[in-house]
Amino acid sequence: MTAAAKLRLAGVNKRFAVAGAPDTIALADFTLDVRQGEFLVIVGPSGCGKTTVLNLLAGLDTPSGGTVSIDDRVITAPGPDRGVMFQDYALFPWQTVRGNVEFGLRYGPAGNALDAAARNERVRRTIELVGLTGAEQKYPSQLSGGMRQRVALARLMANEPEVLLMDEPLAALDAQTRIILQDELLRIWGQDRPASQRRTVVFITHAIDEAVFLADRIAVMTTHPGRLKALIDVPLPRPRGDATRALPEFQALTQHIWSLIRDEAYRATVT
Amino acid sequence: MNVKAANPLERYGAGAILPIVLLLAWQVVGAALHSPRTPLPSRIVAAAVTLVASGDLPMAILQSLGRVFAGFVVAALIAIPLGLAMGNSRAVERNVDPVVETFRPIAAIAILPLAILWLGTGTAAAVMIVAYAAFFPMIVNTVAGARNVNPTLLQVAATMGLKRVTIIRTVVVPAALPSIGVGLRIALGVGWTAIVAAELAVGAKAGGGGSGGIGQMMFVFYAYSIELNRIIVCMIAVGLVALLLDRLLRAAMRALMPWART
Repeated sequence: MTAAAKLRLAGVNKRFAVAGAPDTIALADFTLDVRQGEFLVIVGPSGCGKTTVLNLLAGLDTPSGGTVSIDDRVITAPGPDRGVMFQDYALFPWQTVRGNVEFGLRYGPAGNALDAAARNERVRRTIELVGLTGAEQKYPSQLSGGMRQRVALARLMANEPEVLLMDEPLAALDAQTRIILQDELLRIWGQDRPASQRRTVVFITHAIDEAVFLADRIAVMTTHPGRLKALIDVPLPRPRGDATRALPEFQALTQHIWSLIRDEAYRATVT
Repeated sequence: MNVKAANPLERYGAGAILPIVLLLAWQVVGAALHSPRTPLPSRIVAAAVTLVASGDLPMAILQSLGRVFAGFVVAALIAIPLGLAMGNSRAVERNVDPVVETFRPIAAIAILPLAILWLGTGTAAAVMIVAYAAFFPMIVNTVAGARNVNPTLLQVAATMGLKRVTIIRTVVVPAALPSIGVGLRIALGVGWTAIVAAELAVGAKAGGGGSGGIGQMMFVFYAYSIELNRIIVCMIAVGLVALLLDRLLRAAMRALMPWART
């Protein structure tokens, strides 16, 4: 293998106990390598265990069988090397924009090596990166959905984790805000930089066009139990932008992935 | 109904009609009885002027407030850390909760004999009774607040590698603050209620001397001079002070939680 596996899920099973019923099998024999610097997107119908995969990588959950590892070290707990962006923003309502962005540096190990000046500079730069300069003193309740998601992204990026784990971060936004933030996300991730300097991303979505637009590779999952159905390369050139969405290859890939999950997605709407 | 904001006189004026009618009726009927002891609005106003001018009422209120404040702080120092521990640890909660819930229905005034036995008939006993009364609403609301923290916020902090104690300080406490604030408000109310009762009894035991405070003042007017007008002045003062305390505490909570302002 040319690119080393940054994250590895090997033969992972995950069962959840359900009172008075047989265990729910969320993941069955799930194996997936995520390469260093790769933008990997997981798509699949609701209930296919996408979020379970992310929680296992984050260390918020432990597998029932198999191993989950980062750089060949088994993951047993959350750590500052893996930053997580949650679906519902999950901003601290009592902290200002600045306080949210600064949170991990101030209270967590990510800021240990920084003095106050370096910390302030990192926070200022990160707020600028996501386009929130001028809103530092606002509270989350005073912000729009798009701005809240920018704060959540800045809070994640400020800690400079090696791996970014994102659980449908754009799902709650309207379609236009969503397209804008897809572009922003790729810019902030560093699609202009050479691949060796990019962070490893695992991004979950149920929107196929979003997956094709963002991903280097797409892991398509199937449900009941959650399994890996297909692993698809996205050879679209970077940097990507509006022109990418108009490419015939973009349309073809979107169609192809939709054909892989259409039947299950359909069944999910009638059962 | 008129939805537009009327001027204050119009707004409160309409609601003042019944109280004014009742006060006038009280004055007229009471005066017709020709008994010098019957409380009348006019006599109450006169008694209030006398009690305030002599400094007796302000002094008594200040003394009671000092005791309430002391008892309130003692209760908060125990209830809030204990409540946070209960909200964050099943083991602590399982052990402490039955003890708390067993004592909670016992009225503060019922422990007065113990307070007097242990601490004598003075300020210390009164403070203990206030602390006892204030403790329960504080701890119940602190536990509820600590228990109901949005679990995703805890996960955010955990994925940033924060230590458990740091998470409690930086996530659980601020997230529980609105609930703790409700507990403090209720506690201040019941603490103030308890001090009047405590001083009634503490004062009586002391033979009417020494302990001071608004409750003891009321007891003196009742037991030694049967001054009903003055007792009613004290009752009104108790109510007004309670209102003022609540407003002050709400303002303090608002200042402490700027994010909750809308």
